[in-house]
Amino acid sequence: MKKVFRGGVHPHDFKELSKDCAITDAPVPEELVVPLQQHIGAPAKACVAVGDEVKRGQVIAEPGGFVSAAIHSPVSGKVKKLDTTLHPMGMTCQAVVITNDGEDQWAEGCNIEPDESKEFTSEEIVAAVKWAGIVGMGGATFPTHVKLSPPPEKKIDTVILNGVECEPYLTADYRLMLESPRTICLGLKLLKKVFNAENAYIGIEANKPDAYEVIKMTLAEMGGFAEAVLLPVMYPQGAEKQLIYACTQREVPTGGLPMDAGACVQNVGTAHAIYEAVYCKRPLTERITTVTGRGVSKPANYRVRIGTPAKSILELSGFDEDKTQKLIYGGPMMGAAHFDIELPVNKGMSGIVAMTDAKAFIHGPCIRCGRCVDVCPAGLIPSEYSIYGEKGMYLETAGIDIMDCIECGACTYICPARRPIVQWIKVSKAELAKERARAAAAAADKK
Amino acid sequence: MEWTFTEYFALMFGLIFTQNFVLSQFLGLCPFFGVSKKRDSAVGMGLAVIFVMTLASVVTMLIYKGLFLNPSLEKYHMAEYLDIASFILVIASLVQFVEIVLKKLAPALYKSLGIFLPLITTNCAVLGVTQIKLTEFARPEYSLAQAVWLQSLYGIFGGIGFTLALYLMAGVREHLETAMIPESMKGMPIAVISGCCMALAFFGFQGFV
Amino acid sequence: MNIIVPVVIMAIIGGILGLVLAIASKKFFVKVDPRTDMVLEALPGANCGACGFAGCAAYAEAIVEKGAPIDLCAPGAGGVVAAVADIMGLSANAKEPNFAIVRCDGDGVRPRFQYAGVQTCKAATVMGLAGSFQDCPYGCLGLGSCVEVCPFGAIELNENNVAIINEDVCAGCGKCIDACPRNLIRLDPESRVIVVRCNNKDKGATANKQCNHACIACGKCVRECPFDAIHIENNLAVIDYGKCKLCGKCVKVCPKHLIVNLRAERKERREARLKDEK
Repeated sequence: MKKVFRGGVHPHDFKELSKDCAITDAPVPEELVVPLQQHIGAPAKACVAVGDEVKRGQVIAEPGGFVSAAIHSPVSGKVKKLDTTLHPMGMTCQAVVITNDGEDQWAEGCNIEPDESKEFTSEEIVAAVKWAGIVGMGGATFPTHVKLSPPPEKKIDTVILNGVECEPYLTADYRLMLESPRTICLGLKLLKKVFNAENAYIGIEANKPDAYEVIKMTLAEMGGFAEAVLLPVMYPQGAEKQLIYACTQREVPTGGLPMDAGACVQNVGTAHAIYEAVYCKRPLTERITTVTGRGVSKPANYRVRIGTPAKSILELSGFDEDKTQKLIYGGPMMGAAHFDIELPVNKGMSGIVAMTDAKAFIHGPCIRCGRCVDVCPAGLIPSEYSIYGEKGMYLETAGIDIMDCIECGACTYICPARRPIVQWIKVSKAELAKERARAAAAAADKK
Repeated sequence: MEWTFTEYFALMFGLIFTQNFVLSQFLGLCPFFGVSKKRDSAVGMGLAVIFVMTLASVVTMLIYKGLFLNPSLEKYHMAEYLDIASFILVIASLVQFVEIVLKKLAPALYKSLGIFLPLITTNCAVLGVTQIKLTEFARPEYSLAQAVWLQSLYGIFGGIGFTLALYLMAGVREHLETAMIPESMKGMPIAVISGCCMALAFFGFQGFV
Repeated sequence: MNIIVPVVIMAIIGGILGLVLAIASKKFFVKVDPRTDMVLEALPGANCGACGFAGCAAYAEAIVEKGAPIDLCAPGAGGVVAAVADIMGLSANAKEPNFAIVRCDGDGVRPRFQYAGVQTCKAATVMGLAGSFQDCPYGCLGLGSCVEVCPFGAIELNENNVAIINEDVCAGCGKCIDACPRNLIRLDPESRVIVVRCNNKDKGATANKQCNHACIACGKCVRECPFDAIHIENNLAVIDYGKCKLCGKCVKVCPKHLIVNLRAERKERREARLKDEK
């Protein structure tokens, strides 16, 4: 095992609930609500009108900028209306409501038989990824084609696939690695080709030894162009910067991006989607989502169409609304709690966790025990941020590297005083950004 | 009489740590609590104090040994009663001088020091520097130049000790801003308590020298 | 005659030092305008920063040395401006005092779910969804961040958990404007008594579900207004104060009672307070 980042926590992973459930196709509902903001960056712009007939895989929204992604119809049917829906993170966003006609017809040119012997050029791959509207499938939802087009002065020599899945409860990536290791590895090969990278790794946590074996075997069969790396179980092992360090022993500099360390990290789900986009011409219209937690009687991993209301798959899993105290979209460490079970599944929704014992804690004062400092994977001092945040002195945190915080939540998890440290950090970051904008506006005024 | 390195070192270490003017001899508490809210102004104040202390030490020793203890003037016994009066005169003028210069050259620092700059005049640490080792250094074993040299060292190290205490205190008080303090203890009370804790900590250096 | 020599020596020392000081003060002379201190004296000394300068001293200096406008002081509207104008020899046109106004009524906002995070408005909104633990995503959150920042203690939460301003104490410094993540607080001159007390920009049907007192953009006020001073923008009635003559007709027709006449309300509250004090 390689040397990994310092800090980290060991929450119990609860993966036993759903890790043995093979991926099943969730039934496609009668009506799908496809949000136009499923990625970081500018929302996509709808390019269909009410009443239009759409086929599966047809573009229904064009990217709204460079950092944005196209959105495709997940079914064939009719556009019922253009509406608004809630995003798991809270904002309201535009959405296209599509009535399913049950035919599931692919649009022209989509869904071809994959020819795995075919070679693609770097440009072709990036263009296919952009066309397919692929975003970071681990939950960050950063448009992948942007990651694949670094500025020319940055040389990327290492591609890392993130099969760590360090969030408790979630097993979507694990199941995907077990069930279709071949597509993942081919996706990685495409990624390696994009950058002409020398090294390629797939990082997998030690609590998924079977996935590691399967991937290792598949790589060996394919000629060993990449290395599967077994990593110790530690949250947040799957965070980009921490994974880069674990695989390459390189550190991403303060304020920098992974490309500054010559690395590009992609989720295994993203690699699968890239394979589908490039070889099969299938745009991103479905994803694997884990439905788990003690609030559902049958935890499961579903292959579910984008835009399916969460309610339908929750009910499929025997969701008990009375027992559930907190419903989390994403993993319990970084996901968002939500009150609405009608929320549509989007490209980044790696799981839905129904928690039954989500106590609301009353936090106490910081006792300066330093546990958060011990566990911080970014090497920061979270207690300071929490103290300044509590006092409303948000701007004081600028001098102590708050922008390097990755908001993994390890500090909040470990805090014996139950302090909501990450929330204060988020407020401070937002206030600092506002202050910076204000300063920039003032500077522009002076000119 | 020549001093050895050990003696110099003992003087320095003593003035900065074991016999720190603020924390051990309790001199100069007014600026210590007054200007210790921000580290920036604490440094400025400390530098001003170092300057005044050093210059005051030199000038007062010159007056004391060169004038009052001058063989031709010794019969008037001025050293016995005129020292404090004349030293105050010197210190007051020096502070005035520093104030005038700072106002011109560093207006920002001048503003942040505010009322505490003139207060260096009545800062007993400065008068203490000139008084405490006065008779010891003015003994006939030392030449005039030696006495002035030793006294100026005493001033510099005393000033550095003061600056150190002030800076550390400012650091503590910047953190106190974020602490949860009972309403009645906010402000000066908690500052005095923290100052006491720091003095206790410095007491731990006793026995080094 | 032993006393003579010490006296002479002291006089010489004093003389030399005096000379040094005299030279120094000539050489390092800095011109200070005495009016700065006078202006500082005249300012209220609240250091609230409403003028845009870092405290009263900085503002006084800016007035005297950089010719900053003298009517920027919000807490000291009126009297202070006159006093400063007197010192500076300028003509004073006394400014009408500004009061903060909260554009939410909050009546009938229902909680959607239990919010257990940090109990400040900014922290709640930064968590995205947590900021909408009430049905209305535009209204007052009622966590009291503005109450905390007010240097004059002029804001309190009423029984609906909505911030209300005590105009007797409010100095119009505007600190609460920054504190409110929903941009509900606005500074209005005292005479601007007709206000739309709602910020709901959702369509009528949605807004109606969210709150009993939400603007449903029905347009009755628009039709009633004889001066064409009220319009619906983004599903919300907005008054154009350039045209508004404060006739109060819109107040009477609003079916949701969210266009209010503050004059009557302020009077009522003031009387209630006086009663309390007795």
